[in-house]
Amino acid sequence: MSRAEKKRTLIAYSFLAPNFLGFAIFTLVPVVCAIALSFFEWNGGDISRLKFVGFDNYATIFNVKKVSQNGLAYFFNRVDLGISLKNTIFYTLITVPLTIVCALALALLLNKIRGAVAYRTIFFFPYVASMVAICVCWSFMLMKDGPINQFIQAIGIPFNKSWTADSAMAIWAIILVSVWRNMGYYMVIYLAALQGVPRELLEAATVDGAGKWKQFIHVTLPQLRPTTFFVSIMMIISCFKIYDVVAIMTDGGPGRSTKMLVTYIYDEAFVKIRYGQASAISMILLVIVLVITIIQFRSEKKFSSD
Amino acid sequence: MKKLLSVVLAAMMLLSLLSVPALAEDQVLKVVTWDATTTPYLIAQKEAYEASHPGVTIEYVDVASQDYGIKSTTMLEGGDASDVFMVKEIDDIIKWQAQGFAEPLNAYVEKTGYDLSGFVGTEKNYCVEDELYAVPFRSDFWVLFYNKDLFDAAGIEYPTNDMTWDEYAEKAIALTKDGVYGTHYHTWLSAVANWTVADGVNTLADKNYDDLLYFYQLYQKLEDAGACMAYAELKASGLHYSAAFANGNIAMMPMGYWYVSTLIGYNKDGTCSFNWGITAVPHADGVAAGSSFGNLTGAMINKNSANKDLAWDYISWLGGEEGAAATASVGARPAFVSENVAGAMSAVEGFPTDETSKGALIPSFVGMEWPVAEKVADIKTIVNEEHTMIMAREITPEEGIEEMNERVAELFE
Repeated sequence: MSRAEKKRTLIAYSFLAPNFLGFAIFTLVPVVCAIALSFFEWNGGDISRLKFVGFDNYATIFNVKKVSQNGLAYFFNRVDLGISLKNTIFYTLITVPLTIVCALALALLLNKIRGAVAYRTIFFFPYVASMVAICVCWSFMLMKDGPINQFIQAIGIPFNKSWTADSAMAIWAIILVSVWRNMGYYMVIYLAALQGVPRELLEAATVDGAGKWKQFIHVTLPQLRPTTFFVSIMMIISCFKIYDVVAIMTDGGPGRSTKMLVTYIYDEAFVKIRYGQASAISMILLVIVLVITIIQFRSEKKFSSD
Repeated sequence: MKKLLSVVLAAMMLLSLLSVPALAEDQVLKVVTWDATTTPYLIAQKEAYEASHPGVTIEYVDVASQDYGIKSTTMLEGGDASDVFMVKEIDDIIKWQAQGFAEPLNAYVEKTGYDLSGFVGTEKNYCVEDELYAVPFRSDFWVLFYNKDLFDAAGIEYPTNDMTWDEYAEKAIALTKDGVYGTHYHTWLSAVANWTVADGVNTLADKNYDDLLYFYQLYQKLEDAGACMAYAELKASGLHYSAAFANGNIAMMPMGYWYVSTLIGYNKDGTCSFNWGITAVPHADGVAAGSSFGNLTGAMINKNSANKDLAWDYISWLGGEEGAAATASVGARPAFVSENVAGAMSAVEGFPTDETSKGALIPSFVGMEWPVAEKVADIKTIVNEEHTMIMAREITPEEGIEEMNERVAELFE
């Protein structure tokens, strides 16, 4: 390597260094430690108390003994990990499409409307408002005699319970708040993407006799595909990491009906002080998010070459 | 420019070196605790100790009470050198002992001839294999608060120190009308079902929860009669028990003794102005009147402390007669029991003057809310999860108790 080249490389690394250092100290090292820790039993304190236990932590969280006797149904209905996995996946499967539909609908409505800026600000507001304040307000609205219940009773649905105190509805309360909070943010992304839909394609469709709906289905929607893909991947990842809404609104209850992966990790690590087991659960979460990310990276290439 | 910068940096380093050592004879004791600026007994203890120990300053390291368990453990794990850590839950000291953060205290007790008899056995909760790891200084057991004005208005006799749960339920239903609730249950497991441990036989870790059934049925009977606010609404609104009772439309409320100092404060600042009193919590048939359950608050010496002798002097003072007097002077209940201390407690300005309230200060038995037991953290999670299901009426009390029995049994398979 020539001197000039060496110098250039060094300069490049020196620019990368601050960012990488922060990443290494606050993300990389803890992640590596957590991987290692998932094979140890450790209740905190001195490092000398670390005890290597192999795959014991995994066997415990999967409750291998009981599950092998009683089958998978037992895992998803009785074991903490199974229940929180089931809840998290259900939450993700509902929240992601619902948020996308709402965000896209809002974006289409606000694309050319008069006073759009004001509306955009209003819909974006929940995203920047304090999470705690939002959740407390929604808890009040979802109470037994709250406005939401009065509304659904008025349209003839006989539901008369606090949503957060009902094991079937509690998860829907969390989905509702999540969708409401995030749709403004994804609306902004869709608004930006809508500007990129080529005018001439829409005009050509009009000339060919396509109505508004056909234009949307056959021109706009396909043009938005890379955005929709990006949005759904980002949202799936953030859904798997759901914690704040649950912690504030239901604390995982009633019973275990809204227990999520991250609330389970928190409980094991910081309430029961079992860092080994908590790390093992984190690994499950890591693998899920990693798989989704790999799918994203692979498919991104495909979409950009389309 | 560079020169100037290096001069400034050098000057800063020198200055920081200068500011480290304090005056030699002044000793500072760092005490990690919660809500230090708003808790009256902490303020009173600090004033009394500093007055009788010139040259020593107590410096509280303040942590928000709901984060205390996690934050204090994290501090200890990070090698924090604060001298004393207060112990909020009995679990904490057992965890810290296992993690090697707590200084064993038997040697100090022997060396200074410290008298433990005033703790009437509660200090045993802080022992691991007969070694003491913390000194208790506060013991809050549960009592029944009642609003005298509402009883007078309804023409119903005040509750007494030997009332049974059935008599209590009758009163609660009789008092309920026109926006007045006969009683109030906070959402906690302890407010509804912990009473079963008051007999000194049952504990919440004994793997059999059939004894909770009576109390869940009693609760549901009262909720159905409209004699207390519904759990689901309390949970969703997050209404705090202190505001609920201070509102003046609740006739009775079982709650920890700590609420006495809150109520005295409310009477002083005008938040509420009704007359109130306390009695012992009701008792079940076959259990001695005046039996209750409670929790301990104590203090331990950090193994990392550089000043352990002074730390021992402080925590032994805190638990002993003088510290107890300071704690009692603001209406909190010290762990140390003696005639003097009971006198000091009822002499506090604002404490109800009737004989029943004074009598409630001396319980016949105090069980521990949660015992120290194997896997107690897991048991706590399970029992609390099923508690929320029963209270929200997602399942019947019988089903919930069966779940508790089954799930706790699975823990030990």
